[in-house]
Amino acid sequence: MAAMTAASWGERAVGLLESAKTAGEVPSKLKQLRQLKAVLLHRDPPLLPEFVTRLTELQSERASPVRKFLAEMIGDIGSKHLELLPEMAPCLLAFLKDETPAVSRQAITTGTSLFGYVLEKLVIQGLYSSEIDDSTKSSWAWMLKFKDAVLHIAVQSGSDGVRLLAVKFVETLVLLYTPDPYISADPPQEPVYGLGFNISWLRGGHPSLNVGELAMEASQSLGLLLDHLRSPQVKSLSNSIIIVLIKSLSAIATKRPSFYGRILPVLLGLDPAISIVKGVEVPGAHHALKTVFVACLECTHSSAEPWRARLVEALKAINDSELAGQATNKNSGGVSISNEESLPLKDDNSSMQACDEASSDLVRKRPVTELNNDLLQDDSPAAKRIRQSTQTVQDLPNEPLQQLVAMFGALVAQGEKAAGSLEILISSISSDLLAEVVMANMQHLPPTCPKTDKDDVASETGYPSCLASSVLPSIQSSPLISDIYSLSSLSPLLASLLNIQPSMSHDVAESHQISEEKVMDTVETTLLSSSVGDGSAMMPAILPASVSPFPVVTQNGSSAVSLSLNSATEERVIPGVDSTSSTDEIQESHDASHSSNPEVNDSSQDHATSLGSLVPSNVLSTCSMATDVLETQSTGVGIFDTSQASSTASLVTSCQYVLPKMMILDVNLTDEAKDQLQKVAFVRILDAYKQVAISGGLDARCSLLVHLGIEFPLELDSWGLLQKHVLSDYMDHEGHELTLRILYRLYRETEQDQDFLSSRTAISIYETFLLAVAESLRDTFPATDKSLGRLLAEVPYLSEGVLKLLEGLCCPDRSEKHEKDFQSGDRVTQGLSAVWNLILLRPSSRARCLLIALQSAVHSAEEVRMKAIRLVANKLFPMPGISQKIEEFAHDKLHSVIDDVPAIEDMEADESTSGLQEDSKLGKPSSSRGQQSDNALKSSTHLDQNAMSSLISEAQRCMSLYFALCTKKRSLLREIFTIYKNISKAAKEAIHKQIPILVRTVGSSPELLAIISDPPTGSEDLLMQVLHTLTDGIVPSQDLISSVKKLYHSRMKDADVLIPVLPFLTKDEIFPIFPHLVNLPIENFQGALSRMLQGSPKTGPCLTPAEVLIAIHGIDPVKDGMPLKKVIDACSACFEQRKVFTQPVLAKVLNQLVEQIPLPLLFMRTVLQAIGIFPSLVDFVMEILLRLISKQIWKYPKLWVGFLKCAIQTMPQSFSVLLQLPAAQLENALNKHPVLRPPLVEHASQPNIRSSLPRSTQVVLGLVQELQASSQGHTSQSQAADTGSSTADVATELTQESSAVS
Amino acid sequence: MGAKLRYAMVCSSNQNRSMEAHALLKRHGFDVSSYGTGAHVKLPGPSLREPNVYDFGTPYKFMHDELRRKDPDLYKRNGILPMLKRNLGVKNAPQRWQDNAADGCFDVVVTFEEKVFNIVIEDLSNRKQVLIRSVLIINLEVKDNHEEAATGGKLALELCQEIESADCWEDAIDDIVAAFERQHKRKLLYTISFY
Repeated sequence: MAAMTAASWGERAVGLLESAKTAGEVPSKLKQLRQLKAVLLHRDPPLLPEFVTRLTELQSERASPVRKFLAEMIGDIGSKHLELLPEMAPCLLAFLKDETPAVSRQAITTGTSLFGYVLEKLVIQGLYSSEIDDSTKSSWAWMLKFKDAVLHIAVQSGSDGVRLLAVKFVETLVLLYTPDPYISADPPQEPVYGLGFNISWLRGGHPSLNVGELAMEASQSLGLLLDHLRSPQVKSLSNSIIIVLIKSLSAIATKRPSFYGRILPVLLGLDPAISIVKGVEVPGAHHALKTVFVACLECTHSSAEPWRARLVEALKAINDSELAGQATNKNSGGVSISNEESLPLKDDNSSMQACDEASSDLVRKRPVTELNNDLLQDDSPAAKRIRQSTQTVQDLPNEPLQQLVAMFGALVAQGEKAAGSLEILISSISSDLLAEVVMANMQHLPPTCPKTDKDDVASETGYPSCLASSVLPSIQSSPLISDIYSLSSLSPLLASLLNIQPSMSHDVAESHQISEEKVMDTVETTLLSSSVGDGSAMMPAILPASVSPFPVVTQNGSSAVSLSLNSATEERVIPGVDSTSSTDEIQESHDASHSSNPEVNDSSQDHATSLGSLVPSNVLSTCSMATDVLETQSTGVGIFDTSQASSTASLVTSCQYVLPKMMILDVNLTDEAKDQLQKVAFVRILDAYKQVAISGGLDARCSLLVHLGIEFPLELDSWGLLQKHVLSDYMDHEGHELTLRILYRLYRETEQDQDFLSSRTAISIYETFLLAVAESLRDTFPATDKSLGRLLAEVPYLSEGVLKLLEGLCCPDRSEKHEKDFQSGDRVTQGLSAVWNLILLRPSSRARCLLIALQSAVHSAEEVRMKAIRLVANKLFPMPGISQKIEEFAHDKLHSVIDDVPAIEDMEADESTSGLQEDSKLGKPSSSRGQQSDNALKSSTHLDQNAMSSLISEAQRCMSLYFALCTKKRSLLREIFTIYKNISKAAKEAIHKQIPILVRTVGSSPELLAIISDPPTGSEDLLMQVLHTLTDGIVPSQDLISSVKKLYHSRMKDADVLIPVLPFLTKDEIFPIFPHLVNLPIENFQGALSRMLQGSPKTGPCLTPAEVLIAIHGIDPVKDGMPLKKVIDACSACFEQRKVFTQPVLAKVLNQLVEQIPLPLLFMRTVLQAIGIFPSLVDFVMEILLRLISKQIWKYPKLWVGFLKCAIQTMPQSFSVLLQLPAAQLENALNKHPVLRPPLVEHASQPNIRSSLPRSTQVVLGLVQELQASSQGHTSQSQAADTGSSTADVATELTQESSAVS
Repeated sequence: MGAKLRYAMVCSSNQNRSMEAHALLKRHGFDVSSYGTGAHVKLPGPSLREPNVYDFGTPYKFMHDELRRKDPDLYKRNGILPMLKRNLGVKNAPQRWQDNAADGCFDVVVTFEEKVFNIVIEDLSNRKQVLIRSVLIINLEVKDNHEEAATGGKLALELCQEIESADCWEDAIDDIVAAFERQHKRKLLYTISFY
């Protein structure tokens, strides 16, 4: 394709045209033509001239789409190649009469754009050269023909579709032929095509066009359209034509305001006649009219202004009839999906009617509040939110509202005539709707003031002038007005305006020439224009109500201005306007004064703009304040008199108001009255929470209150009021939220640090406020309530007062505790959980809060202490940052016991020195265990029980925390053992009370084992308790046992330490230490004995009773370095346990012992004891004795004594044994114990026994001859003497020893 | 009969009413688009004060997924999820009327709320009228709930079928409207604007 030459394009075009002509199907024809168009227009434009004529042949084509396409194509070609137009124009003209409407319509559409195009070309060509080229000339000629044809169509009845476009053409024509006031009237320097033109450029002359003629023609064409809409012609029109006519006319009217005067009467005359067309009510036209009226109202052009009043009236009529229609038509509403619709302001029609202000007032007030907050946003921390909410309001286009605004303006502008309707209108809408009107205007403020020509400037002045004039009589005493002026005088603009002053008189003179009515119109309509377009938008709506009351205000001696100045924010929640009753008077007074003072207008004109640019917030607030004052003082009288004053005053006023120094801050209010007013306003906001809650402005309310708190002087006690409010119902009043807002605002104040005084003030307010709220929360809410904790966690910072309060919660005084005993526990929990929260959430307050927790952890009340300790040990101690601090604190506390608690000795010292001695004796490390020392202590001191127990609990107080920490960090354990030796009895007691719990928790952990195997000196008692605890009912671990053994072997030779683990030792381990065990105090040995015999549950007894007894006998007192008495006692201890050391056990023991060489020292003693306990053992003992004889027992003097004792004790069974003794020993025995002789002789005399006795024995017994007997007797006697003395020695020795032991 | 007309269904959020009609007309072979005139697309939230707000152009799929994540029960119960599901089958995302200049001229615009109707008219009158192409704007008042939307969709279809069948709607519109109002006891509001 790209390679196609010009020729081939030509061929292709021809082919396409031919096939388009011949093709049977309409779509294929169109397709060919489209391609052809593409070729001609884009591929090879030079082909066009050749094809144009051939194309026009298609006009006879049967298929209407083809003709339509051709009509379209003519436009495309013509707009690009104007020179070809004359050739195609006939075809276009022919199409106008085409039988198919679509073709005609396309023809008109095409023609309309071509018309504008050709005209533009003609105008611009003519402007820059005197010659017009021929093709343009002839094109224009054809276009004129086209125009005539279309005009004809426009008036003819025919297809509506065609007529619509014809009407549209006429509209275009009129617009083209008339000067556009919105475009520069001077032509550009260079000819520029395609950007439009202004017919007024032709004023300088044009070769073929005459502005005047064109204007005339435009006027005629317009008349054509207007005639249609006049009765009775309009009756025959279809609805759609009417709509289009209306819309076209309104378009002309707004674009060419000079036609207002012709068009609007017709449009206004239409209503309501056309609401019924062809017997059917068609709201379309109605609606179009409404839209048009609104559009016309919005037109800022001066020509439009005179029509406002009538437009507004007409609109009102339309609205009324629509309302009626809607009322009957209303469907019962379902659930709305789109949220916008659910806003109450939406159904403006009904709210327009609504008069029940009382009920709905507050709900509707919300937007006003929001708006006002918006003004205040710089100061408000919540500005962002507020702004958003305002925007959402703005999102809703509220057209009827705008219409209402327009209506207001128009009515006001109409003067006296409309006073009645204005009154009706105002009284029929609620005050908040009125406020809505104001707001609606605010939202439409343009960034800059609309550009105005001279006339417009004049009209702009209307507002202030009527303001001025209406208030004239009272202006001197009216602070409001002067205030406004003073405000405007601040504007730099005004400064320049003052220079214009000299020309004022000229202006005045000029304005005199204007007819009175004209002036009025100008002024009045200005109200509206400013309401639509400029900064003082809210004024017209508010003015009637707000300005007039001023005389009254001043009469009452109160100043609204001072109020509005001093507290710019105060009035912002106050509903805008509420005095409908006075509007009538205002209207009248306004008109009266206005009409008599036309000259004022010009002089004040410029201020209008300056006002407009700077006032919105000030004026609004001032106005609304004024009404509010009026409202509160409930006066509505006396307005009339003053405002009706004579016109002479007006000139004075105008002079006054241009004076630069008009800052009249002449405040008539006393300070008290001001304060009172501020306070009242504040309270009113405060009390409005319910209503505000309903309307959803709580956020704004909060900000407002807080801000006011800052702004108000302290004497007003706004904080006190706020506080009372917050506390009166913390939950329902959003207390938390509000309090936080307040505190943050104050905090900001503090931090800004503008000056020392204010920041200090803010600090003190902050702290008292916070403390008051916190205290109240504490006192009013149950301990389980979380509000206090939440508040403390979220406030900007914690003051010392609050921390103290928290401290009081966590560490209640004793006295307090008694007062509210039942709940103090919960309070402590509350306080502690708050503290914990704060530690977690507030790093800056962490140290302080930690201190509180720690103080609580050493609190004297155990309940409090335990709660705190749980918190500290379980929750806080694991936190890496603070564990060190906690540890140090606990450590210090533990050590404080050393210094603080020994008081016991000191206390005692004065009372009894003996006690002290006792104590110091016992205080030394000894083998006695804790309980013993305790007993000793108790018995030896004269302290009463109470003092002791209080000391103990004091020690416990200090140590509990440390103990708790030990469970978390076991390396801390050693410290307890280390200090043990240095602390007092009471403290030791405390430790002994607590340690079992700790030890059980910790178990035999490595740290504890390390301590066990290497305990600090002086901690033995404690260690013992630990060991007992560790082994109490539990099988100790091997580690523990080995640690204990290690301890025993390395450091402490005291066998006591082994006792707890004895059951778990083996025999081999026990035997070496057995002497040491025996050497223990008897009680301890008894314990050890039972443990050994009992053994561990697993392995059974480690020693049998027999083994124990034998082991005891195996002890050599000399070698083992212990008194014999100990051994004897040990034996006795065994014998006491008759159930364990039974007869067979003893027999077994004796049996074994008798075999030992040498015989155990205590053998005979044991035998004696055995026989004493178990007399039935006598036969067995005899056997033993016999064996002893065979062992020559007499050679062991000590045993020999025992032997004889035994023999005596076991008489008569022992006789046979005695008789077995060798004669010498027998004699010795008999000499020592003469008591033996008679029974023994008697026994031996028995024949059967005597016969078995050896002779020597018989001699000893005196049963045979003397000689032998005497010689034998002598030797034996001397021997006996020897043994006797030696035995006596032994005996004394023994007694000595044993006495020493005991 | 002339060339096929182009239709636009317009409501406030381009979710419920316009989409219902769009879906229906599309099924019946119409050349149809749909738009919303609001500033944002708003869908009901957990409460009246917490609507879900999206920008135009946010895909229906996205909204669907997000709301399903937020509270599947709630949004299923109030029909929002099914509606979004329907919508994402029709087109990708809600479109804003005011930004549709690139979509070309429409012949018929059906609005479902007078406010929307006014916005459309105002918007069209603010555009440059260079083409001199007429456009019919009809308002059919339909409450913004699922049931009414369904009814409204059917009515819109019927209306469009009537318009489509006319040779030249400009000629027939008064009759069509009158007949429709008689038949359905519904008020129609229409006007004619130009592109």
